Parts: sequence; C-alpha cells; structure tokens
Amino acid sequence: MADLTVEKLYRDRKNFLDITLLNSESGLKKIIQNAEVHRPGLALAGFMERFVNKRTQVLGETELSYLNQMGREDLLSTAERLFGNDIPLIIVSKGLTPSLDFLEVADKHNTAVFSSRLTTSELSNRLSVYLDAFFAPAITVHGTLVDVYGVGLLYTGKSGIGKSEIALDLVERGHRLVADDVIKIIRKAPDLIVGTGSELLGHHMEIRGIGIIDVEKLFGIRAIRLQKRIEVEVHLAHWSDDLDYERLGLEEKAITILGVSIPQINIPISPGKNITVISEVIAMNHMLKVYGENTAVEFSKKLAERLHRQAITEDYLEADYE
Amino acid sequence: MVQKTVKIANRLGMHARPSAMFVSHASKFQSEISVEKAGLRVNGKSIMGVMMLAAEMGSELIIFAEGEDEEQTVEALANLVSTGFGDLKDL
Repeated sequence: MADLTVEKLYRDRKNFLDITLLNSESGLKKIIQNAEVHRPGLALAGFMERFVNKRTQVLGETELSYLNQMGREDLLSTAERLFGNDIPLIIVSKGLTPSLDFLEVADKHNTAVFSSRLTTSELSNRLSVYLDAFFAPAITVHGTLVDVYGVGLLYTGKSGIGKSEIALDLVERGHRLVADDVIKIIRKAPDLIVGTGSELLGHHMEIRGIGIIDVEKLFGIRAIRLQKRIEVEVHLAHWSDDLDYERLGLEEKAITILGVSIPQINIPISPGKNITVISEVIAMNHMLKVYGENTAVEFSKKLAERLHRQAITEDYLEADYE
Repeated sequence: MVQKTVKIANRLGMHARPSAMFVSHASKFQSEISVEKAGLRVNGKSIMGVMMLAAEMGSELIIFAEGEDEEQTVEALANLVSTGFGDLKDL
C-alpha cells in the first residue's frame, strides 16, 4: 500500500474537507501514519507527556483563542514545542487562521497548516471517514462476489471450476454481480467485510470458450453493483468420495477473513447439479438464520420431541390393561 | 512453494495476448500458481487477474507455485516472461 502523504490528502479531499493551505508546500511531503484525529489542547498548554504526535492535529475555536491571547514569546515557544514533535499536519476549523508567527514556525519544521471552513466536529468526522477508509485492513482474493437476494456470496475455488459461469447464471436470474476474479476485501468495521472489484476490470469476466465479456453492457445496470458486504463464503470443489459433506446443517463451518468470521459452505460440483438454485437457497437460508430461524436446528428438535413422545405413548399402551 | 522474480521483457508489457499465453501455459500445470506485482497478488491461471496486474515492460513479477510440479512450473513460466513470450516478442 502506498503511503498517505499530506499532499494526497489535500489532492483527494480538498473539497470534501473544504481546506486551503496556509503556509508553504514544503509540508506536503509528510506522511500520515494513522487514522486517528487529535485535538492538542493539553499539548498547547504545555503538557507533552503522552502527546500523540503521529495523529492528524485539529485546532478548533478554543485552541485558537488560547493561542491568540498569548504573548509573542509564549506563542513562539508553544509552536516550537508542538511542531518540534514531528506532527504530520494541522488543520484549523471554522475558517480560522493562526498568526503569522505560528505559521512561520510551521514552515521551519516543514509542516503544513490548513484552514477548513467546516466546524470542528464536522471536520473531525469527515477526516475520520477518509482516514479510516485508507487505513482499513484489506486483502485481495481470487473469487467471485455476487449479491443474491441482498446476501453477499463470495465464491471461491480453483481456477476453472466454474465460478464465473455460476455468476453469469445468477445474473441471468436477476441477481447482481459485484466483481469477478480479483476481489478486494476491506474490513470496514470490527465484524464487517466489504468486497469490491478493481477499477480496471470493472464488471468484465472471462467465460471459457467465449472470452472476455462485459456484464454491465450485456445485462444492463440492474445486473451489477459496485460493492457488497460479504456474508457467506461458498467454496466450490470437484465432488470427492473421500470427503464428508454437510448433511444436516447443524454444524456451521466458518472461515476468518481479515479477522472477521463468516459461515463457509462447501459445495461439491458434479455434472447435472444446479449450483444457481443452490446459491439462492444458501442466500435465503442465511437470511432465515439472520431472522432467527434455523431450519436444521428446528427440525432436529421436532424429531427429538417426536421420539420422546413415542416412547411415552408406548410405555402407556404397554401398561394399559383396560 | 517455489518462487521466482522475473522482469517483463516485451515492449508492450503484459497486454491481452501475452496474458492469455501466460495463463494457458499455467493451466497445463497441476500446481497452484499465483503472480504478484507491486504487492498485488492474483491467481496465475486466471486471465482477468493476470491482466489486472497491468505489468509494463521492465516491471518485476514474482511467480509462485505450489504443488507436485512446482519447480517445472515456475521455471517454464519465468522463461516465458523473460524471453518476451517467444513469438510475441514484437507485440
């Protein structure tokens, strides 16, 4: 992953953050190393222990009025202390501008100072949105991601097993392709992973025997979506007599992707098997479970009750001499 | 697991035809194959993945193989890339 320079932040989100650069461009080369945002109130007041200098520093109205009431000497030493700690950048909110002395010290330490017209909380929120997305853990996997009835199914399995063909079949039945072949997975929250395709590939896919096709052009806008939460992994493999496949569905297999555990379903492929319908069933079954209905568990409970009742009835009949 | 780093030798880089050639060669081997460029790793038997790398001339590819024929696999594929895809040299 390429580093996030201050310049990249400025270029990518100038309008979103509504920022303008107040001092020289020498600070644009600095690298932002983490997703956190910090308001350095205590650091300005002189308490430098545990100062989180690697974070993006945001100054609000309070901090600015504190700086403005200082004498020149005090201001210079405070600025020196702040910028001397190798902070990546400062953004001042509400369109405020710190004094020229402050900016000069910033220049001396090659640190960029921006002014944003947003309020402090709005600025912090938007900064977090951008920084969190940039620093979110991500991997790329080989597979196909399809939205089936709103459930994100990630198909995995060897090259040539038929993942793309299944996706095509699902698209034909009204489901939506997210990406084929190269899936970029990002962890957006502690228990949430989202998959997208690559910009270059878009919604193109390769179908053996035909070549490259464009699903968006062929099936229209309804056939695609740009990103989708991944909820179930469907692993495809050739049918093997040695392998035991799940017969009841009482035990759920899980796979961990970027620290997030999602159910994994192993589907054996054999001629004449309709994986499309099975896929729809997987999606619907997952939804049932989300809504608190576990068919396998319910059925097994029912069976157990019946066996219990039968045993009682038999006991009664045996002991009944009427 | 065997791996080898190679430089793209043909002038136009891994465009569609060299990519197709690469994956059809790769598919003849039993090993699991992956190819990496600049930290991005894709399946070496999938044409979309290989094309997505957009590997230009002079860029470095790392070819990984795992399986019974991993040695031959990496050797053959590395050779294909570093010789500029044989007949496709001028493309």
